[in-house]
Amino acid sequence: MNIFLKFIRYISAFSLMGKISTFIIIFMIIIAVFAPLVSPYPPDKSSGPALSPPGSKHIMGTDDLGYDIWSQIAHGARVSLIIGIGTALLASFGGGIVGIIAGYKGGLLDKTIMRIIDIMIVLPDLPLIIILAAFLGPSLVNIIFVLTIFSWIRPARIVRSQILMLKEMDYINSAKTYGAGVMYLLKKHFLPEIFPIIAVNMIRLSSRAIVSEAGLSFLGLGDPASKSWGRIIHYATNFRGIYYTPFWKWWLLYPWLTLIILVLALAFLSQELEKVYSLRK
Amino acid sequence: MKKRGKSRIVEYIVTLLIIITLNFILPRLMPGDPFLFLSTDQGQDVMYSEEQRQQYLEYYGLNKPIIEQYVLYLSKVIRGDMGLSLYYNEPVINIILRRLVWTFFLVIMSVIISTIIGMILGSISAWHRNSWVDKILYFKLIILSEIPSFLLGLILLFVFAAGLNLFPLSGAITHYAEFDNGWEKVIDVLHHAVLPIIALSVTRLGGTYLLGRNSVISVLNKDYIRTGRAKGLSKVRIIGNYVIRNALLPVITQVFLSLGGLVGGAILVENVFAYPGLGHLMRESVMIRDYPLIQGIFLTVSIFVLTANYLADLIYVKVDPRIKNNSDTESQ
Repeated sequence: MNIFLKFIRYISAFSLMGKISTFIIIFMIIIAVFAPLVSPYPPDKSSGPALSPPGSKHIMGTDDLGYDIWSQIAHGARVSLIIGIGTALLASFGGGIVGIIAGYKGGLLDKTIMRIIDIMIVLPDLPLIIILAAFLGPSLVNIIFVLTIFSWIRPARIVRSQILMLKEMDYINSAKTYGAGVMYLLKKHFLPEIFPIIAVNMIRLSSRAIVSEAGLSFLGLGDPASKSWGRIIHYATNFRGIYYTPFWKWWLLYPWLTLIILVLALAFLSQELEKVYSLRK
Repeated sequence: MKKRGKSRIVEYIVTLLIIITLNFILPRLMPGDPFLFLSTDQGQDVMYSEEQRQQYLEYYGLNKPIIEQYVLYLSKVIRGDMGLSLYYNEPVINIILRRLVWTFFLVIMSVIISTIIGMILGSISAWHRNSWVDKILYFKLIILSEIPSFLLGLILLFVFAAGLNLFPLSGAITHYAEFDNGWEKVIDVLHHAVLPIIALSVTRLGGTYLLGRNSVISVLNKDYIRTGRAKGLSKVRIIGNYVIRNALLPVITQVFLSLGGLVGGAILVENVFAYPGLGHLMRESVMIRDYPLIQGIFLTVSIFVLTANYLADLIYVKVDPRIKNNSDTESQ
């Protein structure tokens, strides 16, 4: 209950767009979690006439096989959620550990890590993601793994610079002279400082991961077993004659809109959090 | 400065070596040999007879020890030999060179356009700092550029090309068209490129706008601008003559740094518009599992991005000698 109140108080400091974005994101998470309950039809079975426009039976119409678009979008939200949260968590955790080690140990280890980061930064990520996905075979786990490889750099750099700064602080030094170990310092002093910055960065990471997965699926390189939003778009754009028929007005438009709304909501939210965070500093 | 330049060069060469090595290792990590994997993949219709397989194994030296293979691969790549495409049965380098032009065209055009528009909007914003114009531009542009370019491209394609019939649906040039003169051809090519270029440019706009705004603001605070204003020079004159010229340098660096991201965007956008560049080729080659071609494209794109980054580094150091001092303290 306490956390809930804290959360409400935090949100109430947001601007209108920030509040709307938060609401949208929570709404999408609820849809993802309760996908089987909120979708009236199974997402992978024909449930009506093919290519019927939005109406009372199918609020977002059906695709060429008669699958309900809304049910597909609701289930697709799960894929986006898994990809976004999975990648952001893994990358923040991994990058955070790397950053702590580099910042705290310093020396040759730090130099080596920084060199690797320098190299990672110039690698063209999307082509490499496509290649890795093609070679490893497309599955959700592989896609999260590949996206994580290209996402840990930013958290690692943020954490490292924070640790470097904190390390020189007087209170850390005095804690050390009193015999505080690394783990103690980490728990009591470093993590509380680092955590909010990483949390804000995680929103950006998850947004990037969701967009990358959509891009891969759009190319036809996503997990064939999971119906993600990008995959609906892939099928729609590959439908023969999609350009000459009105079908795109629901088949393509609704997954497109959901993706755009989610990406913009995440962008607004992270902008908002950065603002709130820098004000508090 | 020299030392820094040298160590950067070494870094780039190491990066390139890593990319080439990745290119070498990845297909070899697959179960079986690359051609076994290739010929049995998901019923794709590229099948090889035993004889063909042996021929390819021989051609790529895949029956030799791994170190020898690696050295062979390296020496081939250095000579610009990326092998034969399995599908087109043609040297990979030739196929790539044919397609590269279109990707270059898209990327360079959208760099130019987004830089010019971003700079203009950034200058407007900086000149009217903290006014409503500035605030609207600031928030709207940054949010607008969060929209991924391929999603923007999709809606442009369906609204303006499919719906309103204003632009062609796909390709870079009208096939089999007879052009009376060069101009008509240029117009036709531009007509095909408008939507992909818009899609790519918008994503970059937020970055250039921010940079333009910041650098113009910092220039506006300089004494010589105050003198110019006091002399009664017009707004346009001050911005055009003094501000832009002095604010341009960081923008040029950013142009080179953003090329990597743009190439990534171009890969997706080309597939939206079936634009015959490297990105479209890459997807095709992934679909038909043409590994030598995939590797060749990846190598080409990487070299392009690495070169752009290196140029950005060079310009950065040349333009701002202070970097050389800062870099030492920064890396500590």
